[in-house]
Amino acid sequence: MSQLTQALIEVEERLNSLLEEVQRLRPYVQSLEEENARLRRELCALPQQETERVIANAQQIQGVAHDNLERLYNEGFHVCHLHFGQPLEGGDCLFCTGFLMRD
Amino acid sequence: MKVNCSKDSLLTGVNTVLKAVSSKNTLPVLQGILVKAEDQHLIFEATDLEMGIRCMVPAHIEKEGVTVLPARIFSDLVRKLPEAPIELELENDILKINYYESNLSLRGFDPDEFPLLPDLNGEETFVLPVDIFKNMIRQTIFACSTEESRPVFTGCLLQIEESNLRVIATDTHRLAYRIAEISNPENCKFQGIIPAKTLNEIYRLLRDDEENLTIRFNEAQILFQFGSVVLLSRLIEGQFPNYKQVIPQSCQTKLFLNTRLFQDSVERASLLARDGNHPNIIKLSVESERLSIDQSSDLGEISEIMNIKKEGNDVNIAFNSKYLLDVLKVIESEEVLVEMSGSYSPGVIRPLDDPNYLYLALPVRTS
Repeated sequence: MSQLTQALIEVEERLNSLLEEVQRLRPYVQSLEEENARLRRELCALPQQETERVIANAQQIQGVAHDNLERLYNEGFHVCHLHFGQPLEGGDCLFCTGFLMRD
Repeated sequence: MKVNCSKDSLLTGVNTVLKAVSSKNTLPVLQGILVKAEDQHLIFEATDLEMGIRCMVPAHIEKEGVTVLPARIFSDLVRKLPEAPIELELENDILKINYYESNLSLRGFDPDEFPLLPDLNGEETFVLPVDIFKNMIRQTIFACSTEESRPVFTGCLLQIEESNLRVIATDTHRLAYRIAEISNPENCKFQGIIPAKTLNEIYRLLRDDEENLTIRFNEAQILFQFGSVVLLSRLIEGQFPNYKQVIPQSCQTKLFLNTRLFQDSVERASLLARDGNHPNIIKLSVESERLSIDQSSDLGEISEIMNIKKEGNDVNIAFNSKYLLDVLKVIESEEVLVEMSGSYSPGVIRPLDDPNYLYLALPVRTS
């Protein structure tokens, strides 16, 4: 009986020591996570000039794409997703003009 | 089968189902009309596998039976029958038609080969007011396409959502949209493209004195039931385009026009270009409070002038006159509102006193 009690006490001590270790590790993990988030932010944050360049580039690409689609439509081809690339028959298409005007 | 009935009963049954008879030669039995004598009724059925129609007429049945008769000749015979009591008698797949002291016989197809028309019992059911639905068909169906290469445009989109019933049709050059408020206590939802042929038949068969029609549907088929008629149709597969994105939200010019005067002017202006090979293009010029509708061809030229009420900018625009006339014929309101945004954007036409209808047509680009 006393041996069992002794064994239980030992288990309890070991568990307590494990718990202490977990508590000691917790702030360390927390600081690691914070550092990770900070580094991610730094990695993503581009200089303002760079951001503007990326936006301008995207707008230019969109503009060129829109011009190309408009040219394709004016040359007599559908640009709507329903019949993209097929020849326009019987006049203008509501869905192509709707798409071009929306942009 | 042995049946006594009137010519009228036979004629009603045959005429009701005739449009569903297949015109293709794929399956001979589909070129026939199924005639079944049952429970003091004659039941007529025809189908081309896209659409099926069943019609029931009262008759005195001495002996029940069923046969399938070749549709074209049977309908011609029924039409030519005298107004006299008529007896139908089926013996060994041959139908004898007796009237006065005369008789004729007609060989039928094997009725076992005739496809069954499913009743869609147990599927979702919805009841529509006939007058509203008929009007919705009339105001939209003309905008459907007839090109089989683009099936989704050969039908009308029917949407039931909460208390709204919508019918939309487009051939990609113009679009007709009609919405109506209906009672939908069970919050039934439906969205499907119904072939224009089916809707034409429903419009033809619906009588004005009928109050309601019941529809039942599943994912692939829709069934309409009214009076003694049941019409089953497949739904057109495919995604109907997002029609909302083509409806302009603003405009630069608003014209307030008398519907009949505008229709008459467009009709007159379109007379000079009727050679059938080219679209009938008329030019509309709005300057201050004057609308000029012009047309010129080798035959001559016409300039119709209307004094109008206008808001916004002057505009020059050209339309296919058919696109204008089709809609003006189905608008009952005394005045229409025509909204435009320059020469190349779609023109919107709506009845001035009815916000539930809208039609838009693309202008024609002229040099």
